[in-house]
Amino acid sequence: MALLQISEPGQTPEPHQRKRAVGIDLGTTNSLVATVRSGTAEALPAEDGKAILPSVVRYTGAGVEVGYAARAAAGEDPYNTLVSIKRLMGRGLADIKHFGEQLPYHFAEDTGGMPAIETVAGAVNPVQVSAEILKVLAQRGTASLGGELDGAVITVPAYFDDAQRQATKDAAKLAGLKVLRLLNEPTAAAVAYGLDKTEDGGDVADKTIAVYDLGGGTFDISILRLSKGVFEVLSTGGDSALGGDDFDRVVAEWVAAEAELGTDLDAGTQRKLLDAACAAKEALAVEEAVAVSYRDWNGSLSREKLAELLDPLIGKTLRACKRALRDADLSAEDVAEVVLVGGSTRTLRVREKVAGFFGREPHADIDPDKVVAIGAAIQADVLVGNKSREDLLLLDVIPLSLGIETMGGLTEKLIHRNTTIPVAKAQEFTTFKDGQTAMAIHVVQGERELVADCRSLARFELRGIPPMVAGAAHIRVTYQVDADGLLSVTAMEKSSGVQAEITVKPSYGLEDTDITRMLQDSYANAEEDIAARALREAQVEAERTLEAMLVALQENGAELLSEAELSELEQAMQGLRQAHNEGTADEIRSQVEALNTLSEPFAARRMDSSIKRAMQGHSLDEFDKP
Amino acid sequence: MQQNHFEIFGLPVGYQVDRQALAKRYRELQQEFHPDRFAAKSDREQMLAMQYAAQINEANNTLKDPVARAAYLLQLRGVEIKAEQTTADGTFLMQQMMLRERLEEVREASDPEAELDELGAEAASLFKAQEQAFSAALAADALQDGESALSKLQFLAKLQRQIEELEEDLLD
Repeated sequence: MALLQISEPGQTPEPHQRKRAVGIDLGTTNSLVATVRSGTAEALPAEDGKAILPSVVRYTGAGVEVGYAARAAAGEDPYNTLVSIKRLMGRGLADIKHFGEQLPYHFAEDTGGMPAIETVAGAVNPVQVSAEILKVLAQRGTASLGGELDGAVITVPAYFDDAQRQATKDAAKLAGLKVLRLLNEPTAAAVAYGLDKTEDGGDVADKTIAVYDLGGGTFDISILRLSKGVFEVLSTGGDSALGGDDFDRVVAEWVAAEAELGTDLDAGTQRKLLDAACAAKEALAVEEAVAVSYRDWNGSLSREKLAELLDPLIGKTLRACKRALRDADLSAEDVAEVVLVGGSTRTLRVREKVAGFFGREPHADIDPDKVVAIGAAIQADVLVGNKSREDLLLLDVIPLSLGIETMGGLTEKLIHRNTTIPVAKAQEFTTFKDGQTAMAIHVVQGERELVADCRSLARFELRGIPPMVAGAAHIRVTYQVDADGLLSVTAMEKSSGVQAEITVKPSYGLEDTDITRMLQDSYANAEEDIAARALREAQVEAERTLEAMLVALQENGAELLSEAELSELEQAMQGLRQAHNEGTADEIRSQVEALNTLSEPFAARRMDSSIKRAMQGHSLDEFDKP
Repeated sequence: MQQNHFEIFGLPVGYQVDRQALAKRYRELQQEFHPDRFAAKSDREQMLAMQYAAQINEANNTLKDPVARAAYLLQLRGVEIKAEQTTADGTFLMQQMMLRERLEEVREASDPEAELDELGAEAASLFKAQEQAFSAALAADALQDGESALSKLQFLAKLQRQIEELEEDLLD
């Protein structure tokens, strides 16, 4: 048997060293960061002791303010203080026309077709604004855990489409975070409650739960089945533009109408009205009625009046619950537990209506503002390799169907909503005209039959199809969705093997090159050495690769590799170690690449061997049965 | 590694599927092969895991669904499956037309919900009968009969979806 080499201390990190991982809830109204320490997940507070970071970013002439200070300035400096920016993530200019009436910003036209907001610090886009929030949270994690973060799980509403997910991932990249996974918020909440465990810590055999998540700007409902550490999402639904902000808006509109303020209100007045509305709504969680005043108008808002104003909005959420249950082939009686998430579930009327719909009192014992970040932290801890909960596995679904445009502007769905991810589906299409040599492929997301009613994700062309009669070509289009819910599309003409492949970069407008440019800009501003940063990133990548290789070799290197192969791999590893210690970023990257290529057959053999083992274990069980 | 959907779960190839065994085996396999289990492994292994996990999901979805499972079983025997089958069975088509007419008239019925429940029960029992017909055809290797039963299953599944959609509309 070939002897395995073990590196010198300090050259590669020890495989079982505890990693620094955080979970981040990037919310519409508030954001949080949490981590697992000594087996318990907890939200990390700022220096002032507050864990919540208001998702508000203010651009001043001197710099950027994030959080409470920025929020306090929203009334007096509305154009430079950006709130609820999550609502604009992954959205195009057309969507903004709709929100623009509600948001008091000056929109500039960005080159990529993505909305940008004019501030005193220049035009900023939603991805950059979100990155500012993430940077503050990452910094908090780094300070609290005493070193650079190894990775983060960032939560997104289950109902986020491909563009919104991609935008969130881009914001994390811009903030310098390594994203371990994008996790759906309701799934994170279910994990935080640990409903898969009985009170004495045993496994629950099988149980269905519903997570009702009403945040500042989004609503999600997810139906999950829990079994022995596996959280399987059966269906999900919701509205990515419905939340507590809308509650505030209807209350503010009521105040404006009662006070006869008219409809043409300036940004500052709108903001102040919304703040007053929000305060009244929150007070009604405790009081039966609350006095509301605006300038010289004085009035009173009762719980009954609030219920009357909110019921149409709450009704919308309950219809989504009904649909999610139907998609899961279940009815409200099958649900064993209901979990409430999101600050807006503090509104009493919401609790009443949800309890009425499911016929049971919902869980709300974990702070609804923190529950998502806590669940994300638990998942981050597992993914980064800290073996806190080895049996925990989350099986999530894609929230909206993915389709392709066919003749007549119709959508053909390749992957239906609520399909468990990861997933890959292929379908064949053919040409419409004789001699057609190119095909335009239009990728859309949504449930509607007309392409015009769905969200356009990407357009690309397959060229070089050999001229044939109409209908003779076989063009195979494959959609693949990874565990983050992100899509990549491949198209190929079968007879000639012409291949066009793209990873969908949704039409919200940011390309990889834009991210790189924005990163460079931010370094320039921070006077950070970009070369040093690139070197550090390459070194981290090298360490990760070496560690993965070391673990793989220890597990079954001797069994699956010949001595020659083993020594070749070890040489490549040695080369990478050397580059890691002495080389430039480019040299390190090329050594990582070399090691990855060389180890491909080993990786494939390892996978085959795992599959065989999984099969064998099973067939033996079968034979054992009498 | 090439395995058919049944082999992945160690289940016998056939129309009858033990749903509980499938669900249990599905979760066991995902515990082992989901990309989350490979988060600390090499990029190449992460990609292989994603592909295999996708294959496990596809197999599970096919075997869980009675219509997709029937189509897949015919495919395994070399039958080419079209997306929408047609049937030449006149009696069946006539019956379908009448069921659909009744569906269209549900809104005008004196008790729409009761009428819809009745339609739903009828569709379910017809579906069950076609499942038995398919199962028998497959056992006898009568592939044409199998195709005919599959197309009827597709018709009936569509009818059931329409009933559900109308139910949702009526509830709102």
